[in-house]
Amino acid sequence: MENSVQFSTLFQQIINGLSLGSVYALIAVGYSLVYSILSFSNFAHGGFLVVGGYICYGLLSGVDVYGFFEIPSSGIWLASLGALGGAGIVAVLTERLAYKPIRERTSMTLYLLIASMGVSIVIENIFVILVGGRFRALPQDIFPSALFNLGWNVTVSSSDILSLVVAVFFLGGLQFFLSRTRWGLAIRAAACDLHTAGLMGVNVSLLISIVFFVAGLLATVGGIFLSVRYTLYPQLGGITTKAFVAAVIGGLGSLPGAVVGSLILGLAEMLTAGFISSQMRDLVVFSMLVIMLLVKPAGFFGRQISDKI
Amino acid sequence: MKKSLWASSAFVVLGLILIFMPLSGYEEGIVALLCINCIAAMGVSLLTGFTGIFSLGHAAYMALGAYTAAIMTVRYGVHWFPAIVAGGIIAVLIAWLIGMPTLRLTGDYYAIASIGLGEAIRLVLENWQSFTRGARGFPGIDSYTSRTVAVGFFTVLGIGMFNLIYSRLGRELKASRDDRVAASLMGFHTPSSRMKALLISAFYCGISGALLGGYMNFIQPSMFDMMKSTELTAVVVFGGLGSMSGTLLGSAIVTSVMEYFRDISQYRMLIYGCLLVVIMVLRPEGLLGSREIWSFIPIQTLRSVFRPMPRPDARPKERG
Repeated sequence: MENSVQFSTLFQQIINGLSLGSVYALIAVGYSLVYSILSFSNFAHGGFLVVGGYICYGLLSGVDVYGFFEIPSSGIWLASLGALGGAGIVAVLTERLAYKPIRERTSMTLYLLIASMGVSIVIENIFVILVGGRFRALPQDIFPSALFNLGWNVTVSSSDILSLVVAVFFLGGLQFFLSRTRWGLAIRAAACDLHTAGLMGVNVSLLISIVFFVAGLLATVGGIFLSVRYTLYPQLGGITTKAFVAAVIGGLGSLPGAVVGSLILGLAEMLTAGFISSQMRDLVVFSMLVIMLLVKPAGFFGRQISDKI
Repeated sequence: MKKSLWASSAFVVLGLILIFMPLSGYEEGIVALLCINCIAAMGVSLLTGFTGIFSLGHAAYMALGAYTAAIMTVRYGVHWFPAIVAGGIIAVLIAWLIGMPTLRLTGDYYAIASIGLGEAIRLVLENWQSFTRGARGFPGIDSYTSRTVAVGFFTVLGIGMFNLIYSRLGRELKASRDDRVAASLMGFHTPSSRMKALLISAFYCGISGALLGGYMNFIQPSMFDMMKSTELTAVVVFGGLGSMSGTLLGSAIVTSVMEYFRDISQYRMLIYGCLLVVIMVLRPEGLLGSREIWSFIPIQTLRSVFRPMPRPDARPKERG
């Protein structure tokens, strides 16, 4: 009897872990994509997710823009579409207004890093001021909520399945975009060497905007699922730290690495929550990061980096 | 006169002014807060500005110092002075344990590791309920951080820091910041000098955290999160990487601005975020760049003004 309980917990937590990991993957891939081009950690990535989440919430429940005009509540498809586009545009604007002037002046990524922290603080507090710091739940009926029983007390909710399917769809789409299109080729070239790609006739400025748009869009997909899972609040972007950890474990700048790292992280987190204690899950995440950096700093799929003399 | 002597005497004068200036109770509090923030900023500046190690987890050392001092004074009735020093020492010990494996990492990778370590320390403090009272925080700390205590620590640590950066070790750190390979070819053992920089910066942050506990009478793990670490590094970058006086200036400006906007606390963080972005866009090298503040005093011009008139028959010395 004891064994079967253990087994069902294990199985249940593996399913939960995969579902959480797939959400992390959507966020981590965008993070990693930006890192591969500009080699700096974009801490504002969590902000894009929050922007998308709030646009989705606003479109779903209908917003009244200070009495000027009213946007009626719309269906999930229109709301998600608006959220994806809106967050993508915010990401591009962030790059144009904050990062581009710095990029053009100096080659030190430290300044970009600090500017990105500034942007993330700005986005978080704009939402605190505009809509307040309350936790908001997305309307529950937008996602199917049926539970499937797989036997041995293991259940799968349809929103878990949906998040997994959507994540696979978007990651597959990204893979197709990167490997089969002209711009994908340009992005892969820029990841090798941005400067040389520019010399070969790639419009670098446009390319970076495209990368930021894609990153903001993918983050929003993750953000919508996160806000279904944990409700929506201005500090939700903080969860990106974990996606960042996942990207490092997989290898910074590597997209398959980001996906693998996210799945590992999601599983580790849920198994810790199931078998040890749910308070320990963040501790496990950060210990994994440190151990990984010590043993294999480049991650599972990262490029080996050595000092150039 | 040697630069370090100039800096030390400037610190003594500044300290005396801050201690004996007649101030209202509110202003005294701000002076104490300024000193506390400046101590932590000096520590981070040594590591980031002078050694080139970029850390995003130094708030954790402040937390260690704060909790050590708080637990020692409240639970074991230790006098505040040894408790504050012990806070610094505990931070150094933990930094040594952490630094041994992680200082091998360079660049962004150390920054990422420091985020993880900082968060891990905070989470341990949050979950060790029986010892630290967990996330609800640790109340009832004596208010031992008076203006005199804060200014005293600030003056002593400031003199120590300025003597350090003009010492052999300081030059060693700068050399290993500019080019690690070249520095080690010159015969410096760069791993050990990097370790020393980390330990000293952890000590400063630990002391600062211990003083902060006595200032606020209450500490909470969430006071020392990644936001606080970012703020520490941002202040150093704002003042100018590689400029200790710039760090102090930056820390003073940021602390005062944040204090000034306390009434509109809703917009405070928004303004802070915008400030970070605008500074990085307009002046990424910070307020003073890598120069110290006295290098802006035109000493050569002053000398030529006050130099006695040369006698007409005086000849330039011939060089053999």
